[in-house]
Amino acid sequence: MAQLHVRKNPTQPSSSVSHSLHSQKPKKQALTTAMVSQYGIKYAVHIITNHFGPLVAKVCDCLLKKGPLPLREIVRYTELSETLVRNCLLVLIQHNCLQPFLLEEEGGFGEVNKVSSLYMVLFDNVLHRVRFSKFMAIVSQEFNKLCVDLIETLLQHGRLSSEQIFDGFRDSSSSGGMEALQENIHKLVMARYVERCPISEPFLALPSEEEAAPARRRGAKSAKVFLEPETLEQRVLAAAVPPEGMRFSFELNPEIGADREKAENSSTGDKRKRDALESGTDGGFVDKQVVLWRVNCEEFTRRLRHKICIEIVRTRLDDEAATVFTAMLNASRSEEKKIKTASSVPLSENSIYAEVIKSEKGRNMTLDYVISVLVGLSSSPPFVRVVDNSYSIDYKHIIEVAQTDEVESIVYKKYGKDAYRMFRLLSKTGRFLETDKVSVTPHTLVGVGLDSLSTVGLANIGISDSIFVEKKETANILSKMWQGDYLQMEKLVAGPTQFLLWKVNMINLRERVLDDMFHASLNLSLRVAYELEQQKEILHLGVDGPMKEKYEKLKKVRFLLESSRMKLDDAIMIFHDF
Amino acid sequence: MFSQSPSCRYLLSSFYLRVPAFCTGCLSGEYCNYSFFLFGSYIWCVEDDTKEPDFNSTNPASWSHGYVAPEAHQGIVSSSTYIFDVLSAGMSRLQGPSSLKRKRPELNSPVQSLTEHERILYDVIRSKQDIGIWTRDMKKEAKLPDNVVNKSLKALQVKNLIKEVVNIQNKGRKHFMATEFEPSKEISGGAWYLEGSLDTEFIESLRQLCKRQIEKKGVATLEEVTDLINSYPAFNVDVTKQQIEEILRTLIWDNAIMEVKSNGMGEFASIPFGKVCYRYVSKGGLGGEPRAGALASIPCGVCPRISRCTPDGVISPKTCVYYQKWLDF
Ligand code: SF4
Repeated sequence: MAQLHVRKNPTQPSSSVSHSLHSQKPKKQALTTAMVSQYGIKYAVHIITNHFGPLVAKVCDCLLKKGPLPLREIVRYTELSETLVRNCLLVLIQHNCLQPFLLEEEGGFGEVNKVSSLYMVLFDNVLHRVRFSKFMAIVSQEFNKLCVDLIETLLQHGRLSSEQIFDGFRDSSSSGGMEALQENIHKLVMARYVERCPISEPFLALPSEEEAAPARRRGAKSAKVFLEPETLEQRVLAAAVPPEGMRFSFELNPEIGADREKAENSSTGDKRKRDALESGTDGGFVDKQVVLWRVNCEEFTRRLRHKICIEIVRTRLDDEAATVFTAMLNASRSEEKKIKTASSVPLSENSIYAEVIKSEKGRNMTLDYVISVLVGLSSSPPFVRVVDNSYSIDYKHIIEVAQTDEVESIVYKKYGKDAYRMFRLLSKTGRFLETDKVSVTPHTLVGVGLDSLSTVGLANIGISDSIFVEKKETANILSKMWQGDYLQMEKLVAGPTQFLLWKVNMINLRERVLDDMFHASLNLSLRVAYELEQQKEILHLGVDGPMKEKYEKLKKVRFLLESSRMKLDDAIMIFHDF
Repeated sequence: MFSQSPSCRYLLSSFYLRVPAFCTGCLSGEYCNYSFFLFGSYIWCVEDDTKEPDFNSTNPASWSHGYVAPEAHQGIVSSSTYIFDVLSAGMSRLQGPSSLKRKRPELNSPVQSLTEHERILYDVIRSKQDIGIWTRDMKKEAKLPDNVVNKSLKALQVKNLIKEVVNIQNKGRKHFMATEFEPSKEISGGAWYLEGSLDTEFIESLRQLCKRQIEKKGVATLEEVTDLINSYPAFNVDVTKQQIEEILRTLIWDNAIMEVKSNGMGEFASIPFGKVCYRYVSKGGLGGEPRAGALASIPCGVCPRISRCTPDGVISPKTCVYYQKWLDF
C-alpha cells in the first residue's frame, strides 16, 4: 500500500539531518480544519446520502468528524473494504467534495521527513450542492440557454474535460455547433463561472522557521492582536488553485479534431487519479495534457452575496438605494478576489453614476439625486463608507446587520418582546450588565467572576431599569435566555448578596444559531422526503376524486417546505460563507 | 383606575370622562382646545363642553351635547385605548407636582406633646432624612424594647409625624420616614416608580407619545421631543430631558427609533451638523415586531424541543406537532 507515502523530501537530503537527542521536538503540522458544528456535519452527510448513497456518506462522515486522513485510516474507521473506500473517494473527488493532498512532517530524531497522502472533505462544497438551482438562476439571468445547459452539465458531472463536454453536446440541437460551444465555454470562463480544476494533489511543505515564528509570537500576545492562523483547509485550497493566469484561460481551438485525438490517447486527469488509486502509485501527478473544467462555486457564492446584500439594502432603505447600490456592486465586481471581502474598492461619484445609468431604473436619476442616495446609504446604518469623496461598500457591516436581524427575530419569537429589548440592549452595549442597578464597587466583590470584571469594566447600568421591566420579571427572562444559550452569565458574590451579570457573546451565538440552521435545514429536508413518500402513495392510488384534494395539498406543503429551505440556505450563507 | 376627587381636573361620572387631553385627530403638535368625551371605547372631541351630554340618546354625537369639533379634530374613535393610556398616565401623576414640594410640619405641631420614647424614636427617624429607616435598625439605634418601639411608632403615625414608605430595594421591610421628607430616589426608585412599583402605564404612554412625535417629524433631537411632551396639557408633570432620554433609549431597544448623527443635509437640514438625534425606523415591521428571519419563520427556529429532536427519535420532523400545525392549510 502506497497511500501513506513515506519518502525522502527532495529539498532536505537525509545526510543533512543530524539532530542530537536534545534537539527540539519533531515539528508537527497542525491538522485542524475549520470547525464544523455537530449539525453541520449531520446536514452535510445527509446531503451526500441523498446524492450518492450511504457508502459515500459513511466515508464523508468519517472524514468530517476526524479531519483529513490517509486511506488506511479511512478503511480502519469505516470498516469498509479498501476498494469500496477508494471508489467512494473517487466519487467525492469527481464532484469536488474532496481534496487529496500531500503533507510533509518532520521525522524527528535524525529521521528523514515524512510525507503522507491525506484526504480532506470540502464541507463548503458539499453545502453548495443544494444551491445548484440558485447558480443556474444566476447564469440564466446573464447568459443564453446554451450557457445554462453547459453549467447544468458541469454541475451534474462535477468535472469534465472540454472533450467530454463537446461529446455531451454533439447531438444536442441547442449547441449550434462546436464553435458556438467553444465560444460559450469561453464566455463562462471569462465570467469566472467556470474554472480549471485544482491541482489533484498539492504538496504542503513544512513551514519554514520564519513562517512559523511570527505565528508563535502573535499567539503569545493578547487575543486582540492575535491573527487567526490559516486553517489547514485554507492552506490546502490555496496550494491547489492553479495559477491565476491558468485558472481562467480557455483557448479557443479551431481544430477540435486534433484535441480529440490527444484526448483519446491520454486519459483524463480523473482517470489518472483513478489509475493512481487503483495501482497504488503516486497520485500527485498532474496531467498537463488534459484540462478538467468545473463550475467555480466561489464566483457564484460572490454573486449570491451580492444579491443578498441588495435585498438587505432594499428592505432597509428603498428601491432607489438598491439601484444605486447594485450599480456600485457592478462597478467594483471585477476587482473582487475573495468571498469574505470586508469592503469593495473605492468608487468615485462619476464612476458610480456611469454605472447607474446603464440600468433601466437608474436612467431617470440625475447625478445630484444619485449623490443624495449615496448620502443616505452612508448614514446610519452605514452600508457604504465615504473617504475623500469616494465610496466603498461595507460588506462586513451589511452582513453583520443581516446576522443581527436574524438572531434578534429569533429572540423575539422565542422569548417575547421584553426579551427582545433586553437582548438588543445587551448586544448594543457589548459588555456585562447587571440585572438591576445596584451599585457594585470592586472592593466589595469577592468570589467568582472577579477576573472577568477587570477586563470587561464594571457594569453600571441595570437591565431592568433601562428596559422598565420589574426586577423579578427581568431576572426571569434573562435566565430563560441564558438557559437557551443566548446569553452569557457571570455570578458575583459581594458579601451576603449575589449579583448576576449578563452579556451577549455574538461570536458564540452566531455559531450556535448556525448550528440550529443546519439542524432546521436537515429537518426540512427530512420532512420533504416524508411528504414525497406520501405523495407517491397517493399517486399509486390515483389522483382522482377525494385524493385530488389531498394531492394538491401535498404539493402546496412541498412548495412551502422547499422554499423555506432555500430561504434558510440564504441565511446559512450569511452566517457561514460571507 | 379612575377615582373622583374634588381636586381632580378630570370630571368623572359613571358613564363618561371629560378630559382636557389632546386630540389624536390633529396630532400636529398644535394642541386643540377641544375637550374629549370618553364613553365606553369611544372618544369624541367637542367644541363646547359646557353642555351636559345626553347619554340616553342612541346617537353618539348627542352624547356630547356640544358641537362636534371640526373634522380635523375627529380622528379619534379608534384611538380611545391610546387616549386612555395617556389619561391614566396623567391621572396617576395627579399628586405629582405637589408631592415634589417638601411639606413643613404644621405650626401647632404635635412635636411638643411627645413622650420621651416617642421623641427618641422620632429623632432617630428624622435624622435619616429622606432615606428613612428600617424598623430593625431603628430598634437597634434607639435601644428601646420592641413593644415600646411598636407602640411609639403607632403614636407617631397617628400624630402624622412619620409615615411608612415602600423601600424599592427591599419591599418586604417596614420602612419609616419623617413626614416632612419625601423618599429619596434610592428609596422610591425614582421618577418611574409609584408606591414601590414601576409606573408602567405612565412609562408606556410616554413611550407612545415620544414615538409618535418622532414618527411625525422623521428625525428629532432630544430637546425637541422633551419640549413637545412638556407642552402637552394632558401631562401635568414636567418631564426632564434625562427622563425623555431614558424613554428614547427603550425605543431604541425596541428598534422603533435609531440614534443617528446629523449630517446637516436633507432631513437633518434643521439640525446642526454632528448633533445626535433620533430617527424613526419606518420598516420595523408590524406593531413593533421585527421582520421574521428565515429561521424564525419556521417551526424549528423557535422550537423548545430542538435539542431533543433527531431524525429517527421520538421527537422527529416526521412526527413533529409543530410541523403538523404549520403545514395544516
Ligand atoms: S422538527 Fe419539530 S420538534 Fe424537531 S426541531 Fe423542528 S419544530 Fe422542533
